[in-house]
Amino acid sequence: MKVGFVGLGIMGRPMALNILKGGFDLTVWARRAESMAPLLEAGAKGAGSAAEVAAACDVVFSMVSDAADVEQVALGVGGVAEGAKPGLIFVDMSTIAPAAAQVIAAQMAERGLAMLDAPVSGGEVGAISGGLTIMVGGDAAAFDKVQPVLACMGKSVTLIGGSGAGQVTKACNQILTGVGVMAVAEALNFARKSGVDAGRVREALLGGFAYSRILENHGQRMLDRNFKPGFKAWMHQKDMNIVLQEAHRLGLMLPTSAASAQLFNAMVGSGLGEEDSVAALKLLEGLSGD
Amino acid sequence: MGLPMARHLMAAGHTLAVWARRPESAAALLAEGAAWCATPAELAAQCEVVISIITASADVEQLAAGLIEGFAPGAVHVDMSTIAPATARRLAARYAEKGVGWLDAPVSGGEQGARDATLAIMAGGDAAVLERVRPLFECLGKTVVHIGAAGAGQVAKACNQMVMVNAIQASAEAMRLAGAHGLDLARVREALLGGSAASRVLDVMGGRMARRDFVPGIQARLHHKDFAILMDEARQLGAPLPVAAQTWQQLNALMATGGARDDTASLLRMLETMEPREKKPC
Repeated sequence: MKVGFVGLGIMGRPMALNILKGGFDLTVWARRAESMAPLLEAGAKGAGSAAEVAAACDVVFSMVSDAADVEQVALGVGGVAEGAKPGLIFVDMSTIAPAAAQVIAAQMAERGLAMLDAPVSGGEVGAISGGLTIMVGGDAAAFDKVQPVLACMGKSVTLIGGSGAGQVTKACNQILTGVGVMAVAEALNFARKSGVDAGRVREALLGGFAYSRILENHGQRMLDRNFKPGFKAWMHQKDMNIVLQEAHRLGLMLPTSAASAQLFNAMVGSGLGEEDSVAALKLLEGLSGD
Repeated sequence: MGLPMARHLMAAGHTLAVWARRPESAAALLAEGAAWCATPAELAAQCEVVISIITASADVEQLAAGLIEGFAPGAVHVDMSTIAPATARRLAARYAEKGVGWLDAPVSGGEQGARDATLAIMAGGDAAVLERVRPLFECLGKTVVHIGAAGAGQVAKACNQMVMVNAIQASAEAMRLAGAHGLDLARVREALLGGSAASRVLDVMGGRMARRDFVPGIQARLHHKDFAILMDEARQLGAPLPVAAQTWQQLNALMATGGARDDTASLLRMLETMEPREKKPC
C-alpha cells in the first residue's frame, strides 16, 4: 500500500515519520518546503502538491489547522480529489466540526473517493511516541484497509461510526479536557487560597474517585508552574468553539462547556493564548486577588 | 419591520421604489404608490439611497452583490438588518472601491417601534454619509446615534441584544423563583417595577411571563441567531462573556424543545422544563 501525508506541522511531522518507521512507502507534501525536509531525509518521497501525492498513493492522510484547510487539501485546486485514482481513501486527522467533515466526505463520495475523519488525542508527545488515541468515522471497509497505517501512529484506534463520528468523539474529548483542566485549576487554586498545600491535595485526590489523568498530569504541571505548551490555550479555545457551534446548531445545552470556553476567551484576551491550557491557573490566581 | 418603515418614508414625501424576494410582500406598498423594481440592480440604478432590512448576513451579502451592479458612484446602501460586524466591514470596503457609500444601521424597538417611528438607530460608517441620510432616519426613529466606523453599528446592536436577552433570562429566573414559592407573578413584577430592578425588559417580558403569553413578539430563534454572532465575535477578540454564554445555552435548549418560533419570554418555560416537579409553596 502506497501512503501519502499532507500537512507536516508539530503533529503531522512525527506522525508521518512513524508511518515511515512502520515500513510503508511514503509520499509527502507540505505548503512550506522546509517542513518537508526532515521527512525527505528519512526516506520519504516529496511531491509538488496534494494532487501529486494522491496520484502516487492508495491512501492519503492529512493533518492541517481547520475546516477551510481540509476542504482545500481535499477538494481545492491541486487537491487530493484532483489527482486521485478511483478507490483512493482520504483520511483527515485534523480537528474540525463534525458537520464540516460530513460535507467534505459527501463531496469526496460524489467523486468516488472514500473519506474517513480520524482526529487524534495525545498531543505532540503522543504523536512522537506513536501513542495517539485515534477516533475514526466513516466506512468500515475503508477503515479496515487503512488500519495497519493508523496502527503506526496510535495505540488506541477505534472506528466509532459513520462519517463525522470521529469528529463528534473528538469534540466530546475536548469537552472533557477543556472542562477538566479548568476544574483542576479551580481545585488547586481553591486549595492554595485556603492556605493548604496544593501538591498534597493533588496527591491525596489521586487515590480517590476524583482521580483523572488531567489531575495527575496537568495538575503536576500547574504545581511545577510549567506553562510551556503542550497544547496551546488558543487551540483549546478553537476546539471549544467547534463544540459550542455544534451545540448551537443542534439546540443542545452545554452550560459547563460554555463556562469553560469563556475562561479560554479570557486567557486569549489576557495574553495567555500561546501558553499551555494549564496556564488557566494563572488566570484564576489573577482573579483571586493574587 | 420593513413595511411600516417604508410607509413612513413615503408619508414624509420621499419617492420610494421597492424590491422584495417575494413580490407579493410588496403589494401593499405598490398600491400606496411605490414603484416596483424587478431586481436589486434595477433598484440600485434608480435610487440615491437603498435601505434594506432582512434576516441574515448571507441574505445581505447576496442582496449587496445585486445592488452593486446597479449603484452609481455616490449612492448609499443603508443596511438596517442585524448581521455580523465583520460582514458589514467587508461590504463597506467592497462598496468603497466603487465609490458607493455604506452605513450599517441596525435598530432596536421591534415591530412596535417600527410602526410608531420610535426606533433606536445605531449607525456605523462614514459621518458625512450619515448626515446625508439623517433626514430619512428621522422618519423612522427617535434616536439616531453615530457609533463609529463601518461595523460599529452592528457591534452596538450585538451589545443591545446581549443586554436584552440576558435581562429576559434574569427576568425569567426571577419569575421562576417567585413561581417556585407559589407567588402571584403579576404582583411580584408590579412591585419590582417600582424599585431599582425596574427595566423595560422586566416590564414587557415579565408581563408576558406573568400572563403566560408566549406568542411572538420576536421569535426566540432570531435572538438565538444573534447570540451565535456575538459569541463568535467575543471568542475572536478573546473577551469572556460568562453570563451571555449561559443565556446562549438556554436559547440552544429552547430551540430543541419546540420554542424556536415562540417569543423569547419562553425562556421561563425552559427553566420549568429543567425542573418539572410540582413545587409546594413555602
